[in-house]
Amino acid sequence: MASEFVTLVSGDGFEFIIPRSTACVSGTIRRMLDSSSKFSEAVSGRCELENISGIVLEKVCEYFCYNEKNKDQTNVPDMDIPPELCLELLMAADYLDT
Amino acid sequence: MAMRARQKIRAPRRGLNTNKTDDFETNWDDLSTSLKKIHTKDASNLSFEQLYRNAYNIVLMMRSDELYERVKKLEQEWLDAEVQRWVTSAISSVLLQAKDQVEIQDQQNERKDTGEKFLNVLRQAWEDHQVSMGMITDVLMYMDRVISADHKKPSIYVASMALFRDYVLQSVVRSDVKLTVADVLKSTVLFMIQLERSGQIINRPLIRHCIYMLEGLYETITEEESSKLYLTMFEPAFLETSKAFYKAEGRRLLETGDAATFCKAASDRIAEERERCLSTLSPLSEPKIKEVLDHKLISSNITEVINLEGTGVKNMLDNDRMDVLRNVYVLSARVDSKKGPLTAAVQKRIVELGNEINKSAIAAAQVLPTKPAEKAADGGKKPTEKEKPVNQQTVSAIKWVDDVLGLKNKFDKIWEESFRSDVTMQSAITTSFSEFINSNSRSSEHLSLFFDENLKKGIKGKTESEVDALLDNGITLLRYVKDKDLFEAYYKKHLSRRLLMKRSASMDAERQMISKMKMEVGNQFTQRLEAMFKDMTVSEDLTSSYKKHVRRAADPDQKPVDLEINVLTSTMWPMEAMSSTKGEEVRLPCVFPKEIDKVKQSFEQFYLSKHNGRKLSWQASMGTADIRATFHRSNGKVQRHELNVSTYAMVILLLFNDVPPDESLTYEEIQAQTRIPDHDLIRNLQSLAVAPKTRVLKKDPMSKDVKPTDKFFFNNDFQSAFMKVRIGVVSGSANKVENQDQRKETEKRMNDERGASIEAAVVRIMKQRKTLAHAKLMSEVLSQLSVRFVPDVNMIKRRIESLIDREYLERVGEDPPTYGYVA
Repeated sequence: MASEFVTLVSGDGFEFIIPRSTACVSGTIRRMLDSSSKFSEAVSGRCELENISGIVLEKVCEYFCYNEKNKDQTNVPDMDIPPELCLELLMAADYLDT
Repeated sequence: MAMRARQKIRAPRRGLNTNKTDDFETNWDDLSTSLKKIHTKDASNLSFEQLYRNAYNIVLMMRSDELYERVKKLEQEWLDAEVQRWVTSAISSVLLQAKDQVEIQDQQNERKDTGEKFLNVLRQAWEDHQVSMGMITDVLMYMDRVISADHKKPSIYVASMALFRDYVLQSVVRSDVKLTVADVLKSTVLFMIQLERSGQIINRPLIRHCIYMLEGLYETITEEESSKLYLTMFEPAFLETSKAFYKAEGRRLLETGDAATFCKAASDRIAEERERCLSTLSPLSEPKIKEVLDHKLISSNITEVINLEGTGVKNMLDNDRMDVLRNVYVLSARVDSKKGPLTAAVQKRIVELGNEINKSAIAAAQVLPTKPAEKAADGGKKPTEKEKPVNQQTVSAIKWVDDVLGLKNKFDKIWEESFRSDVTMQSAITTSFSEFINSNSRSSEHLSLFFDENLKKGIKGKTESEVDALLDNGITLLRYVKDKDLFEAYYKKHLSRRLLMKRSASMDAERQMISKMKMEVGNQFTQRLEAMFKDMTVSEDLTSSYKKHVRRAADPDQKPVDLEINVLTSTMWPMEAMSSTKGEEVRLPCVFPKEIDKVKQSFEQFYLSKHNGRKLSWQASMGTADIRATFHRSNGKVQRHELNVSTYAMVILLLFNDVPPDESLTYEEIQAQTRIPDHDLIRNLQSLAVAPKTRVLKKDPMSKDVKPTDKFFFNNDFQSAFMKVRIGVVSGSANKVENQDQRKETEKRMNDERGASIEAAVVRIMKQRKTLAHAKLMSEVLSQLSVRFVPDVNMIKRRIESLIDREYLERVGEDPPTYGYVA
């Protein structure tokens, strides 16, 4: 039932389809998708994140992949973060428990 | 990271979110309806993100505390109203009559059914609560992060679990009965366990789930291990009922009166309880219930079980019931590392069996004292028969050893198979063996006879490893014998016979035996035995070099007499066993015929020229001689036989060379001419004149006894089918059990020797220590001598006295008594 990919939807309607394991870097999303709870997100595999904009969510997804890719390594290169997104990204990180 | 971020960006975010949700109540209303839906399992339409955002917003409004309290209240109301009602309704009145021990069968069944129903409901309620709370906690994750970090409150999950405990488990079932749900749960589970113990099948997983619940709940909010509800509420009651149950069970099993059943049942119970803990209850209880079992079921009953008449350990040992014994051992080992009652029982049985062996050996030996008497009366008409009972005694000695070895084997096997080669058991068995072996005063002699017999005949036709095993067996017994010096004396005596009479079947085996003893008892012990072997080899060389000497200086006209000689060091060989002198009676040496005397003198000359200053004394009693005898038949024919006889017999026969055919010599004449001691002379004459097959002499009158007035003739009609005839000396050479007098003498000699050993030990110790207290001296002497024998304390005291009298020692103190060494 649980498909390997999940869809993240930003507040302004952008959809990002990423691997489930990648999305679960976020504690919030992980709980959202926890199959033992019967929330609609867990059933549909679609998470609507209303207070995150598409631009930020894109960056978030990029970070998810970056995190997933480098989680077992040392000397990881820094991720490029545009300064204008800093604040919003931090807020999203807090919200998503990342 | 996240925390720091929140503080920095708080201002801009508030501006960002105000337009959407700024109202606490709106958010809460939304949230609370959703939470209720979660409880009623109606969550699939809910969006996690929405709920999460609601909670998130409330927390951002800095009202997380309020949210926390409201959720708690909501939970409390839910549990109190819905869940509690549901659970209590499942409790039927049957379950409330707890502790009703005398239950009829159908009531029992009813109770079981309703109990299961109740447990099911409770388990369902608990699991639902867990799932719902898991979901709610997830939704409120953001709140939890803030609350637990800032305010040190337990997470909402923990708090709600505590609520479950307070409002469901600890709620009173009905207003008229003062029982909580938890009490009912406890009594129900115990009831189920009781059912299972009596052999019924119960729903184990169900109980396991309820126990999980108790394990997951704590008395306090801090969740310490020790405050688990399982440990505080359920386990004590469980252990209490188990104690009562096993006390009764132990008594019940004892009443069946069969030790094997008891052990089997006990082992089963142990396995059963262990499994119960693992599969039904909590593994935490396993060591505790084990202790209950060990104490109530085993410790308090094991002694009685072991000593049960007819079926106890005694019976098991007798019937080689290895598996049952193993059970007994395992049970005993659980409760007591020393296994006291079991070892006591085993030891008792060993000593009993051992004493039986001792008794039967003595009984077999007792048959004799009557027989020799009647034997003496009818004068040895049938010497072969006469020898038989004597051998019987030897046989009984050997049988004793065999029996003991059999017993030892049996217990070794039991020890290995049933007692798992336990060290304590081994030492207990060893102690018992040495106890009964040493309680038989003849054990040393028997053992030595056993070796003697085997080295003479037993090992013929056996492989090396068989011989090895045989000797090892004997050595094992030697280990148990305390008076090793006594054994040495006997062994020396028997060995000397074997060596001198060439009775030993294999010199290799003899040497092997000595080296085994050396390993077992030590160098000092075998020194003299080895010296005996050395004498033998030296004598061989001596004999051959003497032969050469004789050939060189030979008188061509004289027929040479072959001489094979053994020169023995008198201190190393048991001289007293060879010569039959008694007391201080001075005995003149035997008079040898002139032919022999010449040889004797020539050898003496030869020997003394090689070793100046030595004294040779001749032991005629130990020798043998080959003589060629010519019999002139009355019909004129001449028949020759070669006779192999003892030295004394040779001396006697040579006398008849000078006696005309029809004349006789009286006993007294023979004695006067040869000076052979009475004892030996009688025996030799008996074998020459009485034994039916070797009647070289004729006796007048013809009777079994030899009397001083008897006359002896040379028997020219001697018949034998063989050219060579061996004439043994009646009961002379065989190694056999000593009679009463001989034993007394051996003991006396032993005591003298021991006295000397004790003195030597005392002097050795004192020379080293200069002064020493009495008690310490005693203990040192005992420890030094214990390898060889167990000294008698009184004897040591007497020896010390005597040393003081002879001014080797002096008393230097009175309190405590102390001795000093006088240089």
